[in-house]
Amino acid sequence: MESDGPLVKVRKVEASYNPVQDEDLDQFGKELSELTIVDVDVHVDDTLMFMLDYMEGHFRKRLETVLQADFKGEPGNSLRNMIAHIAWLGSSYDKPPRAKLAAKEDLLARMEKGIIDYSILFPSELLPIGYLPEPEWAASLAKAYNQYMVDAYQNTKGVKIAIVVAPQHPASAAEEIDRHASHPDVVSVCLPDVGVNPPIGDEKYEPIYAAAARHSLPISFHGIEALIHDNYPLRVAHFHTLMQVNSMGFPFTSMLQIMSVVCAGIPVRFPNLKFAVLEAGLTWMPFIMYRLDAAYLRYRTELPALEKKPSEYIRDWYIGTHELEALPRRGDLVKLIELYQGQDTTMWASDWPHLERDLIAGFMRYEMDETLRRKILGENALEFFGLTPPK
Amino acid sequence: MTQKMQPDTRSRSQRKVPIMPAVDFPHGARVEVQVGRVHIAVFNINGEYFALYGRCPHQSAPLSRGRLQGTVICSEETCWETKWVHDGEVLVCPGHGMEYHVRSGKAFGYDLKLRTYEVVVEEGQVTLVL
Ligand code: FES
Repeated sequence: MESDGPLVKVRKVEASYNPVQDEDLDQFGKELSELTIVDVDVHVDDTLMFMLDYMEGHFRKRLETVLQADFKGEPGNSLRNMIAHIAWLGSSYDKPPRAKLAAKEDLLARMEKGIIDYSILFPSELLPIGYLPEPEWAASLAKAYNQYMVDAYQNTKGVKIAIVVAPQHPASAAEEIDRHASHPDVVSVCLPDVGVNPPIGDEKYEPIYAAAARHSLPISFHGIEALIHDNYPLRVAHFHTLMQVNSMGFPFTSMLQIMSVVCAGIPVRFPNLKFAVLEAGLTWMPFIMYRLDAAYLRYRTELPALEKKPSEYIRDWYIGTHELEALPRRGDLVKLIELYQGQDTTMWASDWPHLERDLIAGFMRYEMDETLRRKILGENALEFFGLTPPK
Repeated sequence: MTQKMQPDTRSRSQRKVPIMPAVDFPHGARVEVQVGRVHIAVFNINGEYFALYGRCPHQSAPLSRGRLQGTVICSEETCWETKWVHDGEVLVCPGHGMEYHVRSGKAFGYDLKLRTYEVVVEEGQVTLVL
């Protein structure tokens, strides 16, 4: 169908009941395929049923019981649904497309486009693990998850794994790090940052940091809707709507965890340990850095271990771009990154395939020089996770 | 091919782009039309055709793939009561769920309106007027 105007193409399409995926990559395919692209926050279907074969004894029985449960029509085999979404069930009238869980084939299909060089897999189902009141149960789930993920995803080109640990059981968390750290496909340890009590910088967790430092395994804090916890750092009762919980939960949790870790002097005790924070957006970074600096002036004596200002530790933290805020002007992202000095620490993260995942157009709309774009899209992540450059 | 395509700015001169025979474009069907570099989403809802700019301003998801449903509003008109309205005429972005009224292109809850296009049926052809 051609005339004298621009080319016209017509295509019949169907409504999508799942969020559209990957077409965003095609849109920028040419531009991106030249660059190293690391997606530092990717999720695959890791529902509890996959862990059953990795559980033993009474905890296996218990998981069988969990898998049979049904909570108000939500799948009972989802830890997240059980403790996270029930309170606001249906509040969006099914408006956002339903987040589809990605099977291994979906991940491989995405990788086969040849655009993304590395995908770093983070847990979905076990992100609220810090909330579970029973340390032994939490630890056994983490152990099962890690072994399942290694068995299912090792030796998959471009796919790397972040193991998860149960912070409420530091001894077993350290064992998990010892067990998996030398595996070439394990590139980080994920410390779930909600629900943990006491805060994550507490002395109690020292064995976890010591183990990660021993193996030079970087630590990633990955948030989850903070609605699920009833204690630190925010309570469900503070909010009426899921939107409020979701938007405040992630950054507040991250700020509180960073504050806790830095003020406890962990970066001083373990100077080679690298930290990242994921899924909390970026805009709060300058706030926490310089707010702490301001108070440090007066209260430095409370933190005698620190050798420099809090912001000078925090600027070394890596940070994932998701959920990337839509700033009003195209030049604003660069200004923001300058404010928190994140040129070498900001890493592109999509959160694929979750509902709130960022399509790459959201990042590409921001203007920046090519050097910075390359760093954010891949080079910083190669550095953080210790990955071999693909080309 | 990424040759630069200027939007058709010839003043007043309307351009008609036939899409497909009306018999092939029944109620419930939707079509993505690409004119140069511009994507346009076209819908048939109960025999009425609607065309809107086809890429979501948030992160560019293809709006032609969005579901059509209703939504809730709460305003002076509803005496600040929450009401379910526009059933079947609210286009939900398949990216992250922004909602647009297909009649006006207006985004619910945002000071933002998508461009809409006139659609006519001429000689049995569903035709976009640009
Ligand atoms: S792309 Fe439309 S809501 Fe995100």
